[in-house]
Amino acid sequence: MSENDKFYVERCLDGHPDDFRYLVRRYQGVLLANLAGKLGSRDRAEEAAQEALVRAYFNMGKLRKPDSFFSWLLGIADNVAKEHERKDQIQRQREIVRSSLQESSGTELSQDYALESAIAELPEAYRQVILLRYYGGHSCGQIAEQLDMPLGTVTKTLSRAYAMLRESLQQQKQAEVYEV
Amino acid sequence: MNCEESKELLVAYFEGLLEDSEQKAVEEHLKDCPACQADLQELTGLHDRLVTNGKALAQCNLEKDVMNQVIREQNVRLKATTRATEALKIRRTIMKSPVTRIAAAAAVIIVAALGINSIMAPSVTWAQVIEPILNARTVVFDLIIGGEDSGMVSHEIVIGSRIRRTMSNMPNMTLIIDMDNARMLALDTVGKTAIYTDISGDLGDSTRSYIKFVREIITQLQDGQVEHLGEQVIDGQKAVVFVGKGHNEQVTFWADPQSARLIRVEAKIGQDFSFVMKNFEFDANVDESLVSMEVPEGYTQKENDIALGNATEEDFVESLRIWAQIIGDGTFPAAIGTEATMQQMPTLVQKVTAMQVSEEKGTRIGMSFAKGMLFHQIQESQGQWKYTGAGVKLGDASKVVFWYQPQGSQSYRVIYGDLSVKDVAEENLPK
Repeated sequence: MSENDKFYVERCLDGHPDDFRYLVRRYQGVLLANLAGKLGSRDRAEEAAQEALVRAYFNMGKLRKPDSFFSWLLGIADNVAKEHERKDQIQRQREIVRSSLQESSGTELSQDYALESAIAELPEAYRQVILLRYYGGHSCGQIAEQLDMPLGTVTKTLSRAYAMLRESLQQQKQAEVYEV
Repeated sequence: MNCEESKELLVAYFEGLLEDSEQKAVEEHLKDCPACQADLQELTGLHDRLVTNGKALAQCNLEKDVMNQVIREQNVRLKATTRATEALKIRRTIMKSPVTRIAAAAAVIIVAALGINSIMAPSVTWAQVIEPILNARTVVFDLIIGGEDSGMVSHEIVIGSRIRRTMSNMPNMTLIIDMDNARMLALDTVGKTAIYTDISGDLGDSTRSYIKFVREIITQLQDGQVEHLGEQVIDGQKAVVFVGKGHNEQVTFWADPQSARLIRVEAKIGQDFSFVMKNFEFDANVDESLVSMEVPEGYTQKENDIALGNATEEDFVESLRIWAQIIGDGTFPAAIGTEATMQQMPTLVQKVTAMQVSEEKGTRIGMSFAKGMLFHQIQESQGQWKYTGAGVKLGDASKVVFWYQPQGSQSYRVIYGDLSVKDVAEENLPK
């Protein structure tokens, strides 16, 4: 976390495409977490994350405030996800994944689709905070700085996000019970 | 502390963000409250689950794939970039590089040699149309290089014998050209750098501002022939049309039928160079300092030891080599000329940047490219020539890339795909 997003965005715009890699490093995990829940598989998430990053690079000129690169990137990822989304397909994949996870006890990939799709369903403000905290390696202080909000608001948002996640995970569990 | 207050602080508590006193208060409450304890436990569980999942996803590595794709796609886009609008997207790249500052500047200096045939009597209306052009001390107008849809608009402010020029496909670059002293000052308004270039020699002698060029045509037309083509609608308004023809150029004027105000000028020079001038403002109130040849405050002056005047065939061959080797990845371009040069400038900068050569070498490549193309500009307006290099591979000695007839010469010079040059008699020219 040596330089802020703005620094790298400007480097890219000033003709140093190579510096885009630092933004990729910084946000690939975040994007994957955001997309895995929406798209239902890691492969599809990786594909979409890659597409979102490439799209971001080539549209960087349209980014009005380089400070808000992350929110903007997330918006692009959401759009990509929407395009990729074929509801029935996803549903099918989720079923497959669930059953295979149950069979293989799910330790191999240590992936937690229930959690990811719960995150994907969070309203944007809550999703951002969760993504930055756990997938972007940000401390609460860094989130406050990045999203330009008081620390107290960050912890309150987190607290609310946890509650929503718990509720959503609870519901998923019940649904599975009924399905089985 | 009650449950309500404790719940409020729970996240801050396990994030370790609380002050000592608050921390203790929450701990005290937790000791005695099984419900809040369970809450904390569940929160910790969720936290751990998020951390585990976060770690798993952090192991991914998209970097290589994304960067490869970015670079691949950048190249594809560059190849497709024949239109200036595309070039705008990478304009910031361009502006950082000293290569184009000069090269682009060079590419738009116009060499215009005139040879209007004189015959006929002037018309009254014609005199009215040209009056402001002949007497104006300042002129502001837009100049479109190539066809109207090329998107390459140059905004020109002419004060006396100096021009200030800004181009739409290189928005952060300003050129100030001093005709009297055959010097050009190129300013990069973002990088805050300034470069002087010498344009003396044949280039300086035959270089005119576009407006001066038109003025000279008009002067010659006054004593000669100008054809009145009646009325037309142009740029959405009614206009009277005049056409003047030289042996190598044709200039069309549109003017308001009532006020005789000049609306538009179109010039065709040689076989494929054309430009449009419009949005005229004569004797506009423009500040003299706009065409100052001093390096503005806050700008750093960069050195440049290549003069652009007196370009030779050798320079032209070198720019063909740069075009084929660097811009075309080993193949000669579909077309050459002023318009094509301007369009390709961003690609050249991009490729030279990718070559990671020193700034000095990069500038040299850009200057050489521009200088050779100026040689072609002279041919464009003076002599017979033909470019036949589209698709020819660099090194292919069996294919002709270009031929021209040097002024005053009986024979022709032919340049081949391996960039060798031979004297050839007219009857042996490739068809």
